[in-house]
Amino acid sequence: MDPHELPRTLDDRLAALQADFAALEPPPSADRAVAVAILRASRRRARASPGSRRIERWLAWPVALAAAIGLVAVAVRQLPDAAIHAAAAPATSRFMPVVPVAEIERSTDAYVVPARMPRMALAQFGLPVNPARAGEAIDTELLVRPDGAVLALRFVN
Amino acid sequence: MDEPVPHPIPALSERTEAPDAALAARLACGEAAALDPLYRRHKGIVYRFAMLWSGSPAVAADVTQDVFVHLLTHAGDYDALRGPLSPWLLGIARNFVRRRTGTRESAAYDDTVAIHALADVASPEEALVARAEVEALRRAITALPPHYRDVLVLVELAERSYAEVAAICGLELNTVRSRLHRARALLASWLAIEAESPGARSSAA
Repeated sequence: MDPHELPRTLDDRLAALQADFAALEPPPSADRAVAVAILRASRRRARASPGSRRIERWLAWPVALAAAIGLVAVAVRQLPDAAIHAAAAPATSRFMPVVPVAEIERSTDAYVVPARMPRMALAQFGLPVNPARAGEAIDTELLVRPDGAVLALRFVN
Repeated sequence: MDEPVPHPIPALSERTEAPDAALAARLACGEAAALDPLYRRHKGIVYRFAMLWSGSPAVAADVTQDVFVHLLTHAGDYDALRGPLSPWLLGIARNFVRRRTGTRESAAYDDTVAIHALADVASPEEALVARAEVEALRRAITALPPHYRDVLVLVELAERSYAEVAAICGLELNTVRSRLHRARALLASWLAIEAESPGARSSAA
C-alpha cells in the first residue's frame, strides 16, 4: 500500500480530528489537583523550619543581593559622576529591564555600576538560572537610580 | 524622586509575560506559584497529546496531573538552553501515558498485525457521518503500535517539528521520518479496508 495513494482522505481526516481536539482542555478535576499540589508545595515551604540550612541557603542569595544593592547605592552617592561612568566595562548583552520599562524611562538620573553576584540572584530578576551553576558568580552591570533601586542589568564578558 | 516599583516578582517587561524558562527557574528555586502560569499555558497541549495517544479522557487527565506535579518537583531538570519547555513536557507526558496504559516499547509489533488490529477498529456504519469518521480515526490511531503512534500524534496532530519529535522520543531524524511514513501507511491501509467494506459501499450507494 502506497501511503501517498490516499493522502487527501487521510489528511482531511487528520485535519478534522485535529480541529475536533483543538479546544479540548483538561477537566476541572485536573485543574484542582494541580492547584492543590501548588498549595501543598507552598505550605511545605512555608512550614519548613526557619533555622534549617535549606531555608538559609535559599534566603542567603536574596539577602546578599539586597546588601550588594545597598552598598552600590551608597557608593553611587559617594562617587563623582566621572568615576562611575569610567567604571563601566565592555558589556556583552543588552540591558534587561527588571522593572516596567516606563519606570526606566522616567529615571533620567540612573547610573551604570558594575556588580558581581551569584547566578542564583538572577532568578530574583525573573531570569533563567541553571541550578547546576547557581553557585557560580557572574559579572554584571546594573542600571541603578540614585536611591539604589535596580532598573535593569546586563551581563559583562 | 520616584519610589522603587513594588513588584515582588520583577517582570522582564510590563508588556510581555514571564517566559517559560524564567518561570521554570523560579519553580526550581522553590517558588511553587510559578507553576500556575506554566500550567495554564501548557495544560491543553499535554492533555490533548495524552488524549490522542491513549484515547481515554480519564488517562489523559491523570497524565496531565502527573506531568505538572512532576514539573513542580523536577523543574531543575529542565535546561532552557536545550530547547523550549513544551517539547520537554511532551516527553514527560509520553513516558507517563505509556506507564498509565501499561504500554512498553516492543519489537514484537509488526505492520501486518497492526493492519489487522486497525481493521477490527473500523466500523462501516460509523463512516455514515463525518463525526463518526473522526472518532473512528481517533480509535484507529490508538490502535497503532506505540512507536508509530508517538510520531503520528506529535507530528500530524500536535504540530511538532521532526526535530522536536526526535528530541521528545530520543530518536534520529530519519527514524522519525520512517516511522511517520509507516504510521501513515498503516492508516491509509485502514482507510482502504474501510472503503472496501460492504457497509461502506452500501452507504456510498
